[in-house]
Amino acid sequence: MKKIIIMAVILISQTIAAQKYFTRTGTTHFKASVEAFEPVEAVNNSSTAIIKSSTGDIAAQLFITAFKFDVALMQEHFNENYMDSDQFPKATFRGKLKGFSLENLTSEKEFPLEGTLTVRGIKKEISTTALVCLKNNKIELTANFSVQPQDFGIKIPSIVRKKIAEHINISLDYELVEKK
Amino acid sequence: MHTKIKYFFAFLIAFTSISSFAQDDLLDELDNETKNAKQFALPAFKAMQIGNLQSTKIADKGDLYLIVSHRFGSLKDGIDEFFGLDQANTKIQLAYSFWDGVQLSLSRDSFEKTYSGTAKVRFTKQSTKFPLNLVGYASADINSEIKKANYPNLKFGDRMSYTMQLLASRRVSKNFSLELAPSFVRQNLQDLNFTGDRTHNQFLMGLGGRLKVSKRMSLNLDYAYNFNKHKDSKYNNPLTLGIDIETGGHVFQLLFSNARGSNDSAFLTKAQGDWGKGDISFGFNVVRVF
Repeated sequence: MKKIIIMAVILISQTIAAQKYFTRTGTTHFKASVEAFEPVEAVNNSSTAIIKSSTGDIAAQLFITAFKFDVALMQEHFNENYMDSDQFPKATFRGKLKGFSLENLTSEKEFPLEGTLTVRGIKKEISTTALVCLKNNKIELTANFSVQPQDFGIKIPSIVRKKIAEHINISLDYELVEKK
Repeated sequence: MHTKIKYFFAFLIAFTSISSFAQDDLLDELDNETKNAKQFALPAFKAMQIGNLQSTKIADKGDLYLIVSHRFGSLKDGIDEFFGLDQANTKIQLAYSFWDGVQLSLSRDSFEKTYSGTAKVRFTKQSTKFPLNLVGYASADINSEIKKANYPNLKFGDRMSYTMQLLASRRVSKNFSLELAPSFVRQNLQDLNFTGDRTHNQFLMGLGGRLKVSKRMSLNLDYAYNFNKHKDSKYNNPLTLGIDIETGGHVFQLLFSNARGSNDSAFLTKAQGDWGKGDISFGFNVVRVF
């Protein structure tokens, strides 16, 4: 009997700790295109993200240099001249899905997503809505929000200012599996 | 007692796992997951050449580059020749990449009316797992200036010069990059009045560097030491000093060099100018991507 209690205590504590969902192949896309000019957009297919399912706590991280552009030179300029990727290799997000619960998640549900985005070492509060659903024990999460280059101290030279949108749309598409 | 110890351990294990779970910030956990991820360094150089010397930069797949190079006459000629600008060597080069990490090019330079074909292949990229960019480079140059009428015994092979290089570079810091370029030049035809002796095969060590002075500008230097140059040779080791100015899809490279040819075999082994005597030329490369 005592052994069972001991086992139970250990197991329960372990399972609580293990209630996390994780991905390292999340898709993060951004678009700063202006109509009639060359598209300015890129996709990062190696974003990592983690959700603590008991509380809705969420964190995500990506490497700036892993953003792929159609035009290689644009990618080089993005890293070298705008994002200072040597100095600030990562962008991170730390936040919470408000009122998150795994129950009844078989169909898509909306949750308010709030947290702090850190790019180039500068923090900005983000508030948006995430669409979440649970399929085959995988959490699928999609969300959109927009930021401005000056939020993160990114200087745009006057000659290209017209070619880069004032508001940059960021979209996330993450599929997280239970972390063992 | 025995069971108490058991309880104690059970709670200890339970408690540590709960507390580690509570303290463990999710971001730290992600950091842990990605700390061994391979990260490539940004390119060491902006253009395909540092000045004259080839850099480790390769056109990305599907990119077409047009490189127009001018090398003017000697500054020493003064105002009469407008500091060399009256005599320009022009090289027009097209470079294209059909496959990732492979760049092919064709060009024509006024210096000895040379047609040239080059191939550049990347072996490694500098990353968190490997410290160097390694690139192989080869070029074949055809001198079309020498005429059969003047040299009745001239064979086609006599027009050929070849260059083979291993380019090893490292972006040492955000603003500073270095390159070493062990090189081999083969010249099938030599004017013994100039070379002093037969030195058809020449080994050189190229050295280059870049210092970024702002986000879009850098100072560049390249040099090559020729191990096989005859002591009476009229040629000098090439030294090139330049500035890169990058504007969107262009890189402008303004430079001063003691070499007037811009093909590899020409600038490496046929630089006639002399920095010590002020016998150097102004020149530029305009690099445009399509």
